[in-house]
Amino acid sequence: MTRLLFPPSGGLHLPITRRGMLRASAILAGAGLLSAKGAPLWAQDVYAEFEPLWKAAAIDWTRHSGTTIQIGALSHPWTDAMMPLLPHFTRLTGIEVNLTPQSETEYVAEMPVKLGAGNATPDVYMVWALGQAIEAGWLAPLDEMEANPDISDPAWYDAADVFNSGRSFEKWSDGVTYTRAITAEAQTMFYNQTMLDGAGLAIPATMDELHAAAVALKSDDVAGIVLRAKATGDAAAWPAGGWVFSHGGAIIDPASGAVGLTSAGTVAGVDSYARLLRDAGPVGVGNYHWMECLNDFMAGAAAIGGDSSNFASDIANPEKSTVVGQVSYGALPSAAGLPAKPNMWHWTAGINANSTNKEAAYLFLSWATSKPTSALAAAAGLATSRASAWGTSAFGDRFGAQAASAALANLTAADGDLFKAAWFHPKAPQILDAFAIGVNEAVTATKDAATAMADAAAKLDGQL
Amino acid sequence: MTSRGPAFLRDRPPSLPRRAGIGRGRFILLMLLPATALLVGLTIIPFLVSLGFSFTNYSLVTPDETAGIWLRNYRQLVASEEFWSALRVTLIFTTCAVAIQLGLGVAIAVLLHHETRAVPALRLLYLLPLAITPVAAVFTFRMMFNPTLGVFNFLLKEVGLPAQDWLGTPGMALFSILIVDTWQWTPFMLLIAIGGLAALDEEPLEAAAMDGAGPWQVFRHHTLPMLFPYLVVAVVFRAIDAFKTFDIIFVLTGGGPGIATRTLNLLAYKQGIEFLSLGYAAAIAIVMLIVTIVASQALLRKVGLFKPKAIL
Repeated sequence: MTRLLFPPSGGLHLPITRRGMLRASAILAGAGLLSAKGAPLWAQDVYAEFEPLWKAAAIDWTRHSGTTIQIGALSHPWTDAMMPLLPHFTRLTGIEVNLTPQSETEYVAEMPVKLGAGNATPDVYMVWALGQAIEAGWLAPLDEMEANPDISDPAWYDAADVFNSGRSFEKWSDGVTYTRAITAEAQTMFYNQTMLDGAGLAIPATMDELHAAAVALKSDDVAGIVLRAKATGDAAAWPAGGWVFSHGGAIIDPASGAVGLTSAGTVAGVDSYARLLRDAGPVGVGNYHWMECLNDFMAGAAAIGGDSSNFASDIANPEKSTVVGQVSYGALPSAAGLPAKPNMWHWTAGINANSTNKEAAYLFLSWATSKPTSALAAAAGLATSRASAWGTSAFGDRFGAQAASAALANLTAADGDLFKAAWFHPKAPQILDAFAIGVNEAVTATKDAATAMADAAAKLDGQL
Repeated sequence: MTSRGPAFLRDRPPSLPRRAGIGRGRFILLMLLPATALLVGLTIIPFLVSLGFSFTNYSLVTPDETAGIWLRNYRQLVASEEFWSALRVTLIFTTCAVAIQLGLGVAIAVLLHHETRAVPALRLLYLLPLAITPVAAVFTFRMMFNPTLGVFNFLLKEVGLPAQDWLGTPGMALFSILIVDTWQWTPFMLLIAIGGLAALDEEPLEAAAMDGAGPWQVFRHHTLPMLFPYLVVAVVFRAIDAFKTFDIIFVLTGGGPGIATRTLNLLAYKQGIEFLSLGYAAAIAIVMLIVTIVASQALLRKVGLFKPKAIL
């Protein structure tokens, strides 16, 4: 009997068999190694192996041959993984792709101005604030294109292979699909197992145990724990959000849409987060963004960390990290009998509503998020939104099997509704800014958690 | 040839414009046209557009719902605690930065003014910060300020002093930003002060020394008053620039901790670029412009009242 390695629900035109997968994963492993050394994933033999998988789709790939599309992207693991693969797309479709990554700051500053001015480029872009982009009309609905048999093959695409949370990101509350999920990240704990063992500590299962372990591990040279606390919406809000959700709180109540910052659960979550960092965090944690957290953890200057699962690639990279082989990854601890609800995130990409190359852009989106391309990207260490890619050995080798397992567990435990209520709100930037300032004030002991959250709520009062 | 017009025009040989078959007035207009077009295109029109935006609720998220709301943005601004906090931070930062940099710039200029063999090399060294890309330099400082891995705390520990939370507490964060700004902009003050010193008439200074004045007295009662007009220009330029400082604060603290280092420019950025409320952000920018004009005019008028005798 032929055993399918990818989930069978999609009905691929070309079934991927164990033999085929073995051959493909051998290539992927080689490609992964090559890409790790800066050598290309666009090598001839890789294309030859994957071409049948792409061409298995009942899609007229060459329909827009000769077109050039622009991709708006920031410097990110997705961009790093995708850039070496672009020649495959051009060879398959005849469509040229221009992609010049920008820093996140530059990207977030430039894109609203470009899109707000009605610019036709970029044709495809990474969406940084979904609610804002949809309310402003900057994203083209994908449903009509998805129904076009010339450029879409739902059976081949196999949307069921995309994580549920990823699919929930793609479809807006009005029932319209605007984006494709391109990555999957979950709030994950990182433990320096050597330090934990040295102190005779087990991996904490509850928030109280985490607090006790972090305090016990803190010394003059090593912080017990490191988490983001910088007072900007893109810094403290995301990890602190996981603490709030795990304490029964909400930033925006998904049921009512009201600000939930003054609820008992939210205050308890912020208080727990702030106490943890005050008691066991590094000096200056009030100004820590993800970069400082990652650097401290990789330098062995922090015993515990908690941030995006994507950090695993860097932590396991001996060129960047001094703690390779010493790290265990774990679930977000639970608080007082409540289920842990780590925060999560899927980067998504969509098509510019003013693009003049919408069909070519759709072909790119379908190709970039397809099973074969996701598997190739996963071989370079990218945590894509597809379960099949996460299951490949090449991804396990590159990302770390234990890290992948912990990230998946956290992704499953996450509550997408709580996340989306805040992060997809049309006024998300204002909400997250006020929340992050409150968290920072609690961490730096400028205010107690209740006052900080009350002030943040008051700031939002009348704005939403 | 007509005798009307300024002397320098009357004295000019009339042949050039006439030979070209263009009247003098038209010739002058033609010469002024490029600069005027640039001024209108790059300054006047954007200013008028911003002024117009400030009277609307223009948001990039809902551009179709833009409507005139007259002074509501301004009323909302002055009623907001964030605005007064940002204005206070901006004024403290500008005053401290300009005062420190003026003192250091003049002091170093005076030291360098006395010729020694090392002066050319030292001048180059002092001016280097002006040549370095600001964001790259500020990112380096951000790493140096890192409490755990940064070089500043390493040095403090080496001499037995406690590590500091350079960017994590409100007071220290502003102080750290001032350190970086001072590192970057003291050379500007130095440059103008050195130029001013080189242009001074040495005779009064020599006469004062011959009359028995000590070096400090010569500096305090003669050099400084003579240097005063140059320093005022430096202060006005630097103060306007410091008032608008963005990159250093954005990279180092992002306006935090809390909103302790959020200046008016950062507030405008947040409203305009992050929240996409361009009408409100434009109102903040207009208020900044008004504050700048009023403050610089007040300073220049004050200078007019207290012109140093050495110049008179």
